[in-house]
Amino acid sequence: MNGPLIVQSDKTLLLEVDHELAEACRRAIAPFAELERAPEHIHTYRVTPLGLWNARAAGHDAEQVVDALVEFSRYPVPHALLVDVAETMARYGRLTLSKHPSHGLVLTTTDRPVLEEILRSRKVQPLVGERIDPDTVAVHPSERGQIKQTLLKLGWPAEDLAGYVDGEAHRIDLAEDGWALRPYQKQAVEGFWHGGSGVVVLPCGAGKTLVGAGAMAQAKATTLILVTNTVSARQWKHELVKRTSLTEDEIGEYSGTRKEIRPVTIATYQVLTTKRKGVYPHLELFDSRDWGLIVYDEVHLLPAPVFKFTADLQARRRLGLTATLVREDGRESDVFSLIGPKRFDAPWKEIEAQGYIAPADCVEVRVNLTDSERLAYATAETEEKYRFCATTATKRKVTEALVRKFAGQQILVIGQYIDQLDELGEHLDAPVIKGETSNAQREKLFDAFRNGEISVLVVSKVANFSIDLPEATVAIQVSGTFGSRQEEAQRLGRVLRPKADGHQAHFYSVVARDTIDQDFAAHRQRFLAEQGYAYRIMDADQLLTDD
Amino acid sequence: MGIGELAREAHVPAGTGAATAPRTLAEALRARGDEGLAALLRARPDLLSPVPNDLTQLATRAGTRASVVRALERLDRFTLQTAEALAVAPDPAPYPVLLALLTGDDGDPDVEAALPRAVEALREQALVWGEEDRLRLVRTARELLAPSPQHPSPTGLGPAVVEATAGMSPGRIQEIIATAGLPATHDPVSAVAALTELFTDRERMGELLDTAPSEALTVLDRLVWGPPYGEVTADPAPPVRWLRDRGLLLPVSTRTVVLPREAALHLRGGRAHRTPEPHPPALSVLREYRPQVVDSAAAGQAYTALATVEDLLKSWDRGGPPVLRAGGISVRELKRVAATLDVTEPVAAFWLELCYGAGLLASDGEADERYAPTPAYDDWLDLPAAERWSRLVTAWLTATRTPGLVGGQDAKGRTLSALGADLDRGAAPEVRRRVLTLQATLPPGSAADPETLLARLRWERPLRGGATASAGAAGARGGQAAPARTGPEASPGTTGTTGGTGYGGGRQGGGYGTGAPTLASTSDLRSRIAVWTLTEAEMLGITGRGALSTPARALLNLPLAEAAADALTGVGGGVELSVAASRAATLLAPLLPEPVDHVLLQADLTAVAPGPLQRPLADMLGVLADVESKGGATVFRFTPGSVRRALDAGSTASDLHDFLTAHSRTPVPQPLSYLIDDVARRHGHLRIGAASAYVRCDDDALLGEILADKRSASLRLRRLAPTVLAAQTDPASLLDGLRSMGYAPAAESAEGDVLVTRTDAVRTPARTAPAPVPDGPPAPDTTLLAAAVRAIRAGDLASTAVRKERPETTRPADGGLPRTSPAETLATVQAAAMTGSAVWIGYVNAEGAASQRVIAPVRVEGGFVTGYDHTADEVRTYPLHRITGVAELADDQV
Repeated sequence: MNGPLIVQSDKTLLLEVDHELAEACRRAIAPFAELERAPEHIHTYRVTPLGLWNARAAGHDAEQVVDALVEFSRYPVPHALLVDVAETMARYGRLTLSKHPSHGLVLTTTDRPVLEEILRSRKVQPLVGERIDPDTVAVHPSERGQIKQTLLKLGWPAEDLAGYVDGEAHRIDLAEDGWALRPYQKQAVEGFWHGGSGVVVLPCGAGKTLVGAGAMAQAKATTLILVTNTVSARQWKHELVKRTSLTEDEIGEYSGTRKEIRPVTIATYQVLTTKRKGVYPHLELFDSRDWGLIVYDEVHLLPAPVFKFTADLQARRRLGLTATLVREDGRESDVFSLIGPKRFDAPWKEIEAQGYIAPADCVEVRVNLTDSERLAYATAETEEKYRFCATTATKRKVTEALVRKFAGQQILVIGQYIDQLDELGEHLDAPVIKGETSNAQREKLFDAFRNGEISVLVVSKVANFSIDLPEATVAIQVSGTFGSRQEEAQRLGRVLRPKADGHQAHFYSVVARDTIDQDFAAHRQRFLAEQGYAYRIMDADQLLTDD
Repeated sequence: MGIGELAREAHVPAGTGAATAPRTLAEALRARGDEGLAALLRARPDLLSPVPNDLTQLATRAGTRASVVRALERLDRFTLQTAEALAVAPDPAPYPVLLALLTGDDGDPDVEAALPRAVEALREQALVWGEEDRLRLVRTARELLAPSPQHPSPTGLGPAVVEATAGMSPGRIQEIIATAGLPATHDPVSAVAALTELFTDRERMGELLDTAPSEALTVLDRLVWGPPYGEVTADPAPPVRWLRDRGLLLPVSTRTVVLPREAALHLRGGRAHRTPEPHPPALSVLREYRPQVVDSAAAGQAYTALATVEDLLKSWDRGGPPVLRAGGISVRELKRVAATLDVTEPVAAFWLELCYGAGLLASDGEADERYAPTPAYDDWLDLPAAERWSRLVTAWLTATRTPGLVGGQDAKGRTLSALGADLDRGAAPEVRRRVLTLQATLPPGSAADPETLLARLRWERPLRGGATASAGAAGARGGQAAPARTGPEASPGTTGTTGGTGYGGGRQGGGYGTGAPTLASTSDLRSRIAVWTLTEAEMLGITGRGALSTPARALLNLPLAEAAADALTGVGGGVELSVAASRAATLLAPLLPEPVDHVLLQADLTAVAPGPLQRPLADMLGVLADVESKGGATVFRFTPGSVRRALDAGSTASDLHDFLTAHSRTPVPQPLSYLIDDVARRHGHLRIGAASAYVRCDDDALLGEILADKRSASLRLRRLAPTVLAAQTDPASLLDGLRSMGYAPAAESAEGDVLVTRTDAVRTPARTAPAPVPDGPPAPDTTLLAAAVRAIRAGDLASTAVRKERPETTRPADGGLPRTSPAETLATVQAAAMTGSAVWIGYVNAEGAASQRVIAPVRVEGGFVTGYDHTADEVRTYPLHRITGVAELADDQV
């Protein structure tokens, strides 16, 4: 009766981290509960149907879940919750997708009424073929993803036993000379490979690329890698050449500028989703080779059309990589049904404790607007309000003070509005990277920053993702995409690469007090706060006085 | 039932000694000891009100239909089967005959063992009396249970040969016995006896049936287990004819035939019931837990129950929903409660009814009636948790209100609303207790299988249970000529009808949805109550994971395990429910989670209370933060809004800091302190107040002067700013006041302009002049008058024309009362008064007696006619409205 876990009636689990059994408990509940918040004392997990089905997919049964809850719970577990867990888990696996020797892809059931129920659904009807016997119905092979998605929405997730095609074999090995996969990266690769398909969640800077490389080395097959932009594509290529037996020639880039198809091809989401005359001309990339593995980088950003293509790729192994499986559009369940369940998840603070990402000091600097700015803000049009308060001159002064404070360190100033960034670049005498900056120019600037030739870089949201700038130690955020939680996390990720000298990273968010900017900031910080990053709040006046 | 029959049973014939066998029920009762009579009265308490004068009266009352029906309804299935078998046995029946009916030809050791107990039970309840060789079922019971066309027997047996042949012609009977291969007899009685003898003789009957065509046997097969009636055409098929010719099917009406009882018994191997059920179905254990697991699960749920009740009533703290005109709360309000508690609506209804039953909430009785917590709720809140629980469960255990019915419909199709009328079900407390005591028969920690529990309940009260196995045959005959009613339930004036009919249309059992057993056959009320009981007991923490908890055993006054019993020493050993409840509370108290006095504050602006919070702490946190998640622990979230709420409630920022520091196990995180300071910084920055008028002046010295002047005190001025004073008096008084002090103030408009105070003449808004309201109708003009006169003339002409033509028709030929219309009557008597002639009238006096009179009207006024009455030979006055008609006399009669 003094376990570390408290089971709440709303199906959240509170784990007291300082309890001696906390680690054992965490291991026991991790397979089925989603870590929702990880602040300093009590971590919150949530039991969701998706999580329970994930656990079933990973081979856990309801008995284990119930036992874990009962064993570690401090107070008696509500009976209704246990019943609900058992009932929810029992829904998984009543339907299975498998290969039939003569009928191809079939959906079979162990519980006939369930099959009857789902076949009566208008959404399922177009996806299935003839009824082979009372318990089996044929499924159009092209609808494998669609039907999984639909069944999940109906609450009867299908277990996909139809297997994967091996794809065209291609030798890929990790070149572990002087480095090795970190333990959690190995676990992630194993977790993914064992499950066949799925998503690996790792903090920014924790080496997701290497998890991708590890997965490729397991698959030893031609691989299609989908990334967010060209710079990121180049970084992937660079990293793969460095860390694996692959050579430059074996890796192709498929982007707006280059259209190479090689055994390992890195394509951007943008080029795939380019629509010309109502069709997606680059879609054939998916069929251009017999891919054995498809890697989705930053899966939380997967554009809707790519979801649709992915539905057709259910026979290929799929690996999703992300730092934040938080989608502002709430399509997490599509990720689950189309890419696969979450196979590995590590809390940020845990990786930080292991020293693989730098500890970060997160500070929110509250800026008092001047009286005239306040008046102007009060009278601004609603849609202009955020832009106005996010780009005030006072903020610029505070940013300059911050840059002065950290003079000598590698500083990134990140913002949303180009005018603001240009102005900042002018005042700070720093180059600005924005959408219109050419790729060559970008690479040049990033290189200069890495080498220490430039110490301050002003970047727009083009640098939100996948830009590897290991030497950046200070990030100053002046404005953002409203209340986006994952953007905040990604931006923090820019400074989380472990530093050579092991010192702390700094993440400053400059926020205008008593404005909508402050509300957005609060929302943006939620994810990181829930990951255990405690924001300090600081008055700008204090900073300016120190200055 | 015949009165004579009753009398025979009840009456004491003179000169009967105690030594001889009793000849009536009364005698049998008289022969009983006091114990026996007490047992009878205990089993059938309805016989006690009022207390009968003597045994004869007791016997008579025990034989009344209502009482017998009541007693039969309380029999368990096997005892009822025994009674049913007696009802189809000869009267009186020797014990072996009864035994044979129940066991069949093959014998059944179980039945043999159980039968004496069943007979004894029937005897105790005065449903059966007489010696072992002459067992008699009370006449009324026999009538209720014996088969008849209106009342098919639960056994599925038809009438005996002698009953079925009652109306048959002797010739036809002789034909039947001849065809059946029996010698002719002299009279129908002996013929029927011979046929009966044939049917009851297994050997000869077997031989007879051996000769039957196989289709005939199929027909018999269909009828053998009932219903025994079959429809035939006027010209039946050969197999049916074969059976009919041999009396194996006897005609009931032109189209219906019946399989006589003796034949059916032969085909059944002598058994009255297809499956006698001598033993109650055993309760099976669904799952077994360690008793500690059960107790802790139950305690957890008990705690949740308390929290739920508190949440519910707290949400009604400032007044609950209005009371519907028909009582109860509306569906929308119920939905709201469900949303508040985050439960389904049936569960919400349960909590509402629980609070209501425990007296924690009631209607406030105001004109605009609403529900609200009662003062008892405040007392309840002050009790220790375990006692709060025991108060709830004792109220629940004895309540007749049945929340499971909410949402269903009553017999008139009205929806039953939570807290509304018509939710009382007399059976509920008994079923609840029975369900729990049955579970208590299992070893501690065992959860009973609900299906077997329900089967057991149905076995114990088959007639109350609606569809039963033995009545199933009867119930199956839908669409047949015979009615599909089961046993005495169909009898008028009994309580049995509540079982299946009215509420069957409502929601099925198990509607709570939260892990309630989904049972197929739960249409009858008792089973539904039982299912609800299981769910409700789980929600109240009486059971944990489906098994009865130790405190609940104490509550039910059941023997406890030693350890638990030790804990109770000194709590008293009575059997009163209140004592049991306090014992239960004592056992529960150590199982409930200990309230904690601290929270854990975290940088993401949440606070976690790792257990139930002490009340003052919980109340304060409830203001300072929003509750995000509830359960064993509580998660609070601090938001600017919640902090502002605390500041509004009178706390200062430093109060809040101190409070958090004092109650947090962990350092107060910087963002939280910052949040409180940040909100406090802005709190009260803008100040709002009310003023009736203001004084404005550019010279602040002058305003200072006014304030300093004592005469301004009555104006209640307050300086808001150097140049502004606010006043609590209206602008006119303020102007007057300042003028009287010697100042020359000017009034200001809302826009700040000086108001020119020229006295304007007062005008109303635009108005229309009042329309005249004359006393009478307006004076008619000539056109109207002319039209009126024309109409009157025409009417007059018409009526006179009719009057002259009518005399013949109005005068009844046979001396009946004359009938004329009131107008005609008036006209005729007026005419007679004027002419002094006599008329003949029909008159009805105040008692309603009709008479005919000849009167000579003298005066007609005010609805009365006064005249000389020739019949009475005096002057009388008659009200006109009593005169049915009038006719002029023929001239020669005057």
